[in-house]
Amino acid sequence: MSELKYPKLDLNIYVLIKQVPMPKAMKTTAEGLMDRTGKSMMNPHCSHALEEAISLKDKVGGTVTALSMGPPNAKQSLMEALRRGADRAYLLSDRKLAGSDTWSTAEALSKTIEHISNGDALDVLFAGLQTIDGDTAHVGPQCSARLELNQVTYVESVDIFDDKTLKVRRIIESGYQILKVPLPVMLSVSHTANVPRGPSLNSSMSALNKEIIMYNIGEVGLPETSAGMTGSPTVVSRVKNVVHDRGAIVLFTEGSTEERVSNLLTALKEETS
Amino acid sequence: MSELSAEEIAKRERDSAIPFVDLRDGARGVLTWAQMDGDDLADAAIELIGEATRIAQHLDEDSRTIYTVIIGRKTSQFTDKLIHHGADVVYVIEDERLTDYLTLPFTNAMVSAIREIKPEIALMSASTLGRDLAPRIAGILDLGLSADCTSFEVGLYVNRRKNQKFEKAFKMVRPSFGESKLATIVGPWCYPQMATARPGVFKPLDIDTSRTGKVIEFKPEWESKDFDVELIESVRNPSTIDLSKADIMVAGGFGMGKDGFGLLRELVDAINDNGQKAEIGASRAAVDAGFVDYAYQIGQTGKTVRPSIYVAIGISGAIQHLAGMKESSKIFAVNNDHKASIFKNADYGLVMDYQEAIPELIKQVKAGYKFPLDK
Ligand SMILES: Cc1cc2nc3c(=O)[nH]c(=O)nc-3n(C[C@H](O)[C@H](O)[C@H](O)COP(=O)(O)OP(=O)(O)OC[C@H]3O[C@@H](n4cnc5c(N)ncnc54)[C@H](O)[C@@H]3O)c2cc1C
Repeated sequence: MSELKYPKLDLNIYVLIKQVPMPKAMKTTAEGLMDRTGKSMMNPHCSHALEEAISLKDKVGGTVTALSMGPPNAKQSLMEALRRGADRAYLLSDRKLAGSDTWSTAEALSKTIEHISNGDALDVLFAGLQTIDGDTAHVGPQCSARLELNQVTYVESVDIFDDKTLKVRRIIESGYQILKVPLPVMLSVSHTANVPRGPSLNSSMSALNKEIIMYNIGEVGLPETSAGMTGSPTVVSRVKNVVHDRGAIVLFTEGSTEERVSNLLTALKEETS
Repeated sequence: MSELSAEEIAKRERDSAIPFVDLRDGARGVLTWAQMDGDDLADAAIELIGEATRIAQHLDEDSRTIYTVIIGRKTSQFTDKLIHHGADVVYVIEDERLTDYLTLPFTNAMVSAIREIKPEIALMSASTLGRDLAPRIAGILDLGLSADCTSFEVGLYVNRRKNQKFEKAFKMVRPSFGESKLATIVGPWCYPQMATARPGVFKPLDIDTSRTGKVIEFKPEWESKDFDVELIESVRNPSTIDLSKADIMVAGGFGMGKDGFGLLRELVDAINDNGQKAEIGASRAAVDAGFVDYAYQIGQTGKTVRPSIYVAIGISGAIQHLAGMKESSKIFAVNNDHKASIFKNADYGLVMDYQEAIPELIKQVKAGYKFPLDK
């Protein structure tokens, strides 16, 4: 029923996927950069962006292209994207990209999108609101500036207005905004937008026949002067650990409900008095 | 005084041979964005001017002017307030179409103002609007940008790789890796050095109504595409209820469901009947689900509270929620999932279903239990 409501738009949809260290494996190297050798996973916000991309495709048709930048093992997250329903996947991987800040990351990703799309105009670029290792929320907007797309960040829902515009809801302080946004647009998606689906049998089967296409910076036309630490207008000069002044939690696990609650309330009183 | 190691001495000698550079190329002064929330001036507007003034004291004398840019439909009414809080020059950009924040016209206005003013430093609020605007500007002007900073310094920065030394680099300090680290970011190669600053962290200057400043009406050249995106609706919920007076905050999350909030209300009533001041709080997910009014939302896009006791029930403990309650004196959490991150940010915890925990709490409060309060 709901499917009939949507026009066939055949949208050219891109989604940016970052592979990040598992929260437990987050470490920094001596230079203050993220150590990317430990266990890793798809950045949670990117997972929500992917979900939004695939459900938009489900509604109006089109292709979903997943794109990542990172070390070769970022293929893991791209493979997951294919198994969840992305149509194709690309990885920009080059040692010269190490130390990229958000400006040069956006520059590299934008160049790659231009290279892949090769004149076949992009309609919607999805990005996660932010990453759990960098927390900047910059890369989506910086790509949209670079690619001259409309832009909505903190996106919580995406719907179709008509064949050239989307209806988008975004979070603001103390409420929300609803916007009517012409294509092409970059949408950075909040984790509150949806519950991501798992891999589907169909997509997993077809993912088996798909190849993740790898590029280096030369192939997408990114000059070395714009890449990595050399191309970045900012650097991390220092990193220190945050000491939390709240001590370890005390859990009350012994006894009946009544005893556990009363032990907690007593402990609370004794400590503070 | 402790002896320096041979290695440290060698490093210092090497550093002293590195030449000082100054790439500012005429960039002077500190620019701030005076954010509007609809037709109202956001608190962040004067917080940023306060911090800009403190930063400017450490810059060269000819770089201490505070430029404040205000963009919106009815902005000229706020120029006095901005000047009384420390702005030296206010750029007023007023247009009937700017009823609320929209990415493209605000970017165009800020980019034009930055090109005109050529500041050494630019600060914007790390609100949901500022974090939309600042990276767009950085993308257009090819600037560095640090997100969501919680402190700033100006001082010596040595880059050994590039063999450069900067006498007064802008050091932008920000929490990262899920608030577990503080990273200092520098970028003295592109100007302005730009950052977004976390709302509520920086203090405004005391108001001085005798302060004078310059007001400049600034007209950017609008492009037709600037107004392509249409605002259909903008909802800003009024904060009708003052939660700051409660000593005990009993907050519920999505895990509670609508019925759970009924129980929560009973607990709050029992505490109040027992002569202590309690109020309901909620997570955004609970508000979005319609369990409770927005006025009770705690967190980044809700209220910030610091009660003596914060009880979090059925709340997972997302960073955005913690932002509004982590300064509470004692936090106690009830959640049926032992892995919920609220347990990493609380003093006491019960891994328990709320349907078990709340009735028991009500019982003990009714039996006369009083929560210990801060003096
Ligand atoms: C820009 C932005 C701003 C935001 N601002 C805010 C804000 O101001 N405030 C805010 O709160 N959030 C905010 N959020 C949302 C935030 O990230 C979380 O999504 C939200 O806090 C989750 O709410 P929750 O913990 O109630 O729900 P969930 O994350 O769904 O957690 C529910 C919890 O309940 C537990 N539970 C389930 N059943 C039971 C039971 N029977 N008994 C006990 N426990 C149970 C579960 O184990 C789980 O931990 C913001 C997000 C963004 C992107």
